[in-house]
Amino acid sequence: MSADFQVPSRVAIPLLVAAALFALANSAPAQTRTATLNVTINGFARLTLSSSGVSFPDSSPDLVPQVPGTPGPLAITVKARTTATANLRLSVLASDDLRSGVRTILASNITWTASGLGFVAGTLNRTTAQSVGSWVGSGVRSGSQSLLFRNLWTHPTGTYTLTMTYTLSSP
Amino acid sequence: MRNTLVKVGLSTAAAVLLMSSSAYAQPATATASLNVTVNIAAKARLTLGAASITFADQDPTAFPTLTAPTPLTVDVSARTAPAATVTLTVLASQDLTSGSNTIPVSTLAWTASGAGFAAGASSTGTAQSVGSWAGSGLRSGTQTYSLPNSWTYAVGTYTTTLNYTLTAP
Repeated sequence: MSADFQVPSRVAIPLLVAAALFALANSAPAQTRTATLNVTINGFARLTLSSSGVSFPDSSPDLVPQVPGTPGPLAITVKARTTATANLRLSVLASDDLRSGVRTILASNITWTASGLGFVAGTLNRTTAQSVGSWVGSGVRSGSQSLLFRNLWTHPTGTYTLTMTYTLSSP
Repeated sequence: MRNTLVKVGLSTAAAVLLMSSSAYAQPATATASLNVTVNIAAKARLTLGAASITFADQDPTAFPTLTAPTPLTVDVSARTAPAATVTLTVLASQDLTSGSNTIPVSTLAWTASGAGFAAGASSTGTAQSVGSWAGSGLRSGTQTYSLPNSWTYAVGTYTTTLNYTLTAP
């Protein structure tokens, strides 16, 4: 029985258009409504190092007085979202002196040069965090750190390790 | 509808402005770690200040002892364990020889200066200690060689070779 209510398509289209025009002609005047949209932007920081480890191969102190770390410069990416005038600081602290059992070599024998805007050269320390870079306000900053080991004849033999902890912070 | 859109836009802008004020600032901190490994292997380097020593001929009566004109500087560099003993020895290849004539090399003696360096006399059979030290480091000293100047020596130009060995275990 559905065929009884079927309308030819050529008739149906004009009827729908007429209905729409009728609806517009009888629409209510424009109304205003206030909606409050809350957007929460918290401080956020992300720090990325290109490698999780660096090693300094054995070398003759005469031939290589400053041993470069492998695998080459450490790429550092700093992403931070903070207030426009807030200071961002990236620092690094050694977990200990270089240690091989009971033998130690001062952590300060590791130094670095730096490239990239805001990144600075420095010397590793196990008691005071040393600046790696500083910036103002939000943004993404990229640079690199080339770590060097001061290679002396006086170093005792051994395989020495320590951990460098980088901290990115903003107030 | 248009008014509604405008109002929403203004409210959003106000919210963003509020968020950028210090009242909404929150500390941001991130950390990362880097493991550092340094390999230090045993090494030794020995440097002599000269490749040869020549004693000038002298009247035995006026100069009963021939002394090398300049002290031989000896630089020792060694990298080893803290308690390990670094030793420097010297061994003569032969007695002082000129053709078929010889002067016992045991008469070729030296005095020494510098911490860890010791005086001694040459030998062809047993390496003689020139110095010893504990642990890694750089050490510098001198050896001044001398030889008795005897009327009994046959004329000639006598030679020997002194081989130095530095050991850092």
